[in-house]
Amino acid sequence: MVDHYLTRSTQTAWRVYDGEAVIILAEDSTLNTLNAVGTLIWEAADGQTPVGAIVARICEEFDVEPARAEQDATAFVDKLCQRGLFTLSRLPQRQP
Amino acid sequence: MDELSIAIAGLRTVVAARSSDVTGVARDRYQGFLSPGVSDWRIEVDVRAGPRPLWADDVVVARDGSPARFLITREDFAASVDLDRRCGSVTFASLDEFSVDTFVRIFYSLALVERRGLIAHAASLIRESRAYLFCGRSGSGKTTLARLSSDATLLSDELSVVTMTDGPARCHGTPFWGELARAGEDLAAPLAGIYFLRHGDRHVVEPITPRRALERLLPTVVFFARDRDLTARVLDIAADLVEAVPCFELTFRRDPGFWEVIERG
Repeated sequence: MVDHYLTRSTQTAWRVYDGEAVIILAEDSTLNTLNAVGTLIWEAADGQTPVGAIVARICEEFDVEPARAEQDATAFVDKLCQRGLFTLSRLPQRQP
Repeated sequence: MDELSIAIAGLRTVVAARSSDVTGVARDRYQGFLSPGVSDWRIEVDVRAGPRPLWADDVVVARDGSPARFLITREDFAASVDLDRRCGSVTFASLDEFSVDTFVRIFYSLALVERRGLIAHAASLIRESRAYLFCGRSGSGKTTLARLSSDATLLSDELSVVTMTDGPARCHGTPFWGELARAGEDLAAPLAGIYFLRHGDRHVVEPITPRRALERLLPTVVFFARDRDLTARVLDIAADLVEAVPCFELTFRRDPGFWEVIERG
């Protein structure tokens, strides 16, 4: 996954409070709230940044071991892909 | 055409129908909110019996090709509204007060967005010229609080309108009632506080952050459109609201003492 590109769904509306995101998915009005690490991933999911670079930022900003950061980020990305909030692609995508 | 005009939160809508039976239902249901004058919206109403599905489907609000045109469908009515032209039409399967009221609630949830307004599952009351909003789902105590507030002016025990049009947030009375089965007053006042309800054995008011308040408020907002742009606008209004107005969790028991705790808070 680390060499894939992560893109936020265009069908979302969101705001960040004190470093934590509140996201609504328009198609079913579900509400998702993210912690600080999740919010970093969310904001970085611009379709242009590989997951590996996002993981490196997590390690830098939250003082986490790379293996642990990659494992947690992968699980988080999988979950949000299943909810329709992210898409993963092999090639860079247009900015959401 | 027979016509009447209703206004909720200052948004005036002409309801027009070929039969005075139709406008009669609306006239009876919204009698405290009839308001002749220049209208903001016009809705044409028809009743046409047709085959009804065997199950009660949910409300569907979907964009109809043009960016501002939405179709609203439920088992008992089908409607089309144009947010730019501020007009629409609705056909009911039968002349039923409940169906009419359901449509009006959904219609206003769309129409108020332009005024930076929201409809929330919340009781609201005016006390000493200030409005208080008590948010919660069914069973959270909205009607109980309204019943315990005999010295306050009822705006609604079920669905309240808040606008952020210009200046401070204001809470408006609505004809949308819950267990109280009584419409609110057609009044408005500056919103002093937003309270998220929790039953308990004592009265406690605890301030909460805007983020926590937004998480609590959004599930109570009446909004059916599965549309990114409108959803973003609703989120903006809700987010501005919780930043502009103090928000609290209110734990309460069944006596009017909660007002004392609110006033102290």
